[in-house]
Amino acid sequence: MPEIMNPPSSSRIKVRPATEREGRKDYISIRDYGFWYGQKKALDAISLDIPERQVVAFIGPSGCGKSTLLRNLNRMNDLVDDVRHEGDITISGRSIYDAGLEVISLRRRVGMVFQKSNPFPKSVFENVVYALRVVGVRDRAVLEEACETSLRKAALWDEVKDRLDDSALGLSGGQMQRLCIARAIANRPEILLMDEPCSALDPIATGKIEELIHELKDQFTIVIVTHSMQQAARVSDRTAFFYLGKQIEYDTTEKIFMNPSQAQTEAYISGRFG
Amino acid sequence: MDMSDKKPAPAPAPESRFTVSPMTLAADRWMGRLIRIGGVGVVLAVFGMLAFLIYQVFPLFTGAKVAPVGALSVPAAAVAFGEDEYGDFPFVVQSDGKVIFQRAKDGSKLLEWSPTLGDRRVTAVRSYPRSGLVFFGLSDGSVQEIRIAYRSTFDAAGKRAVEPSVTALEPIAIGKPGLPCVDVWNAKGAQSRLLLVRQESAGKPLLTAVRLTERKGLGGKAKVTVSAPFVVAAEVNSVEQVLLPSTAESLIIVGKSGEVRTYADDGTAFTFLQSFVPFKDSKDTAVASSGLIFGNVSVVFVSRAGEQQVWSMYPQLQPDGKSLRRWGKIHDGEVLAGAGEGVYAAEGNKCYIAVAGGKLQLRNMTTGTLRWEGDAPAGTIRQVAFAGNYDRFTALSADGKLHRWSIVDHHPESSWDAFFGKIWYEGASGPDYTWQSSAGSDEFEAKYSLIPLLYGTAKGTIFALLFALPIALTAAIYVSQFLRPEYRNVVKPVMEIMASLPSVVLGFLAGLWLAPLVDPRLISLFCAVGILAPAALFAGFLWSVLPQPVRRQVKPGMEFLWLLPFLALCAYFAWQAGPAVEAAFFTVKDTASGLPIADFREWWRQTTGETYDSRNSLVVGFVMGFAVIPIVFTIAEDSLSNVPNSLISGSLALGASRWQTVWSVVVPTAISGIVSGVMIGFGRAIGETMIVVMATGNTAVMEANPFSGMRTLSANIAVELPEAAAGHTHYRALFLGACCLFLLTFVINTLAEILRQRLRERYKVV
Ligand SMILES: Nc1ncnc2c1ncn2[C@@H]1O[C@H](COP(=O)(O)OP(=O)(O)OP(=O)(O)O)[C@@H](O)[C@H]1O
Ligand SMILES: [Mg+2]
Repeated sequence: MPEIMNPPSSSRIKVRPATEREGRKDYISIRDYGFWYGQKKALDAISLDIPERQVVAFIGPSGCGKSTLLRNLNRMNDLVDDVRHEGDITISGRSIYDAGLEVISLRRRVGMVFQKSNPFPKSVFENVVYALRVVGVRDRAVLEEACETSLRKAALWDEVKDRLDDSALGLSGGQMQRLCIARAIANRPEILLMDEPCSALDPIATGKIEELIHELKDQFTIVIVTHSMQQAARVSDRTAFFYLGKQIEYDTTEKIFMNPSQAQTEAYISGRFG
Repeated sequence: MDMSDKKPAPAPAPESRFTVSPMTLAADRWMGRLIRIGGVGVVLAVFGMLAFLIYQVFPLFTGAKVAPVGALSVPAAAVAFGEDEYGDFPFVVQSDGKVIFQRAKDGSKLLEWSPTLGDRRVTAVRSYPRSGLVFFGLSDGSVQEIRIAYRSTFDAAGKRAVEPSVTALEPIAIGKPGLPCVDVWNAKGAQSRLLLVRQESAGKPLLTAVRLTERKGLGGKAKVTVSAPFVVAAEVNSVEQVLLPSTAESLIIVGKSGEVRTYADDGTAFTFLQSFVPFKDSKDTAVASSGLIFGNVSVVFVSRAGEQQVWSMYPQLQPDGKSLRRWGKIHDGEVLAGAGEGVYAAEGNKCYIAVAGGKLQLRNMTTGTLRWEGDAPAGTIRQVAFAGNYDRFTALSADGKLHRWSIVDHHPESSWDAFFGKIWYEGASGPDYTWQSSAGSDEFEAKYSLIPLLYGTAKGTIFALLFALPIALTAAIYVSQFLRPEYRNVVKPVMEIMASLPSVVLGFLAGLWLAPLVDPRLISLFCAVGILAPAALFAGFLWSVLPQPVRRQVKPGMEFLWLLPFLALCAYFAWQAGPAVEAAFFTVKDTASGLPIADFREWWRQTTGETYDSRNSLVVGFVMGFAVIPIVFTIAEDSLSNVPNSLISGSLALGASRWQTVWSVVVPTAISGIVSGVMIGFGRAIGETMIVVMATGNTAVMEANPFSGMRTLSANIAVELPEAAAGHTHYRALFLGACCLFLLTFVINTLAEILRQRLRERYKVV
């Protein structure tokens, strides 16, 4: 894939036309959302709707708040001390900060793949079925079945099927990342958050993951953070561009890459800054 | 960067820019060596320590070294002998009463003395070699006492010359007049001396005795009153051997068929006590030889087949329920090479020489071990005597030879069994593990079983860990995973300060403050501690049913601010309720007044029959737990905090609760560190000394009873080493304890390390 080596430019990026699906247009709805780490405001007045079963890419220069926003969607930022938010995020119309909503059930619904792969120091099998064990599945057959389907979906099955009982830490970096994806989808979430899932992967593995995203799209709503313009263009239906914690532009991927309305967006995707 | 870009080549840098400075290299090399020296030094130091311990302990397990020193030719008619303190000038007594002194060095004659008896003859001779007393039984039934004395003189050059002297006392008529004495014995009781003669009257043995009471007269001259002769054991028909303990408290008569009859002196006469046949299960029941062991309460019997038995006086339960001191078999010794020809006891310890089958065996009665074996000299052995300090022994053989051996045996009482086995000590009612290293009397036999100490060590450690581990580990999990960092940063240093608290302070608090405080309110304490866990669970339940909005008022990690006052309140009420609980469940009748009292201590004593000490294992476990908690906590907390946050987020993002995350991700990942912490805590508890010394009664008991004390190996060393004489068995036994402690910690730590490595291999994080 020689294009990857080249600086991104809107003229060379192939954009896949957005798939239109039935379902809520505002499946995930972020309204005037602001977020503080202590005194530092990391997100400012973010408002965007993510339609059901579509892929949305978050792009923007490093430190602009992509991961922060992503982590807010499943409230992983609760773990950070001294944080504060304003505005609201709803999923299927229900606020994620709803008092009656357990954060655990939110996280079961909103799965996440981290920027840095983080397999548990357990066997491959135990990693994949972790979420099932957590909800109390004991039936070995169910676990094995789930393990295999998830690993197949994550395009890892053929590589690890003989070493399911070996430590996950013996896998390569790319395999670990795919294992983390398998682990996340074994839980059968509705939404999958992926924070630069391919940053540590070679082009082949990247291709596999992108394929995976295509397939998963039928079942999941996917939010992906990426630094690769090509990837955003290849996999996403819609793209949001952030800069310094602000949402600069959010539209269909086609529009963003072909005809961005903001000069900053244009400059960023053509590689003139960032 | 585009590689095809043509850029001007940079100016060549001077070579020196890339050379490493010699200082850096030298520092590198020297530090490397220094570190290697340090590492090797540590290993050497540890092995050096072990080597030193083994060096100290080793002599315990070497037998006696016995070497013949030479044989002195004496007249063949010699039937008894005696020696001076150093064995330089032995004397022999011939059957006719002639006493001949010789120099041990060259055999030259020093003095010859013959009794002047008129028409009486000497018919029996008995010599007590260590006291210089010789007794002649005379042909008319009377007894003459001969006193041997050695006077040392020093000439001008300071050379020692020894001058023996013999004093013959007036014969005392004891036996039936006109009958010759066959044998004669002497023993010194508390009030009087006993002289016993044996005669043969109409084919029947006749034993007659007198008591000699010595009273200091006004002029300082001793006046001896002789009692009227009285017959002893008149009913016996056959007398093979008579054993008269040197204290004259009892009398043991061995008959022809092997029946042993024992008598006790009740102040006026010898009354029959007990009779038994030691070898009643053998084909030949006869007793071939027997001998009293030092201490006068044990007798070794040897049969004609060489079987050995040791009988001793110890408290035995009688049919009427009373416990009385009676004779009973305490050991079955090894079978000797042939029929017993003599048993001769050492002075000052429980060793004896058994002559049998042409062999001399030096054995220890208590442990049954063979300390040395050698060939017996030719000719029947007439008498064997040990030197008072157990450094040599002498034997007189019938072919006119006085054989001398030197003994090097510093630890006659030690053996593997003595330290680790069950031993039946004299006076005990059965074999047992006992540690008792000193007592008032000389005849006391020190007991060095390490088993009670090992038991105490295990008990103390288990109690301490039972208390400390749950608290330390749950605290570590809570602090590292749930507590807010602001508080964690306070708790950790405080715990570390606690870890550096000297244990003597803790021991002091335990022994002088806690034990007396807890003692009367034990049930209150149990209630207060016991309520905590259910109270905490209840609080957790309450929390879980609280509606979300209320719960959200409390920041995560601050829940303890609610919990602590609640728990404190619960504990307070439980403490106050203690006396009521005690009254409800632990009311017993007071033994003194007969009134019912609510007292757990009394209840415990009465219902379990076990002891209750106020300084007990519970207090020790509690306070030792305090010494252990900070260490375990600190190490476990460190390793728990070091679990990468990414793993925790990963687990939480998969919908695991915080507790599930802790249990299935954090703890397994940190397990090797937790195991290390536990092991170090274990090591500390095993070796902990001062707390045990101060907070228990330090009695070496073996009871699982939580309300009794204990003595641990380390406390034992601390308490007894200062009073143990260097090189003595006691001293070395303490080192053996240290050795055990060393090996124990070594083995446990090695196992723990292997376990830790395995776990680390399994749960290593990239
Ligand atoms: N835990 C935190 N505490 C304090 N500040 C944080 C924390 N995490 C992120 N930030 C700050 O918030 C801002 C946004 O960070 P974020 O991680 O969302 O950036 P990003 O867009 O994901 O960058 P990158 O592309 O490099 O991953 C940054 O300025 C960062 O320094
Ligand atoms: Mg990021």
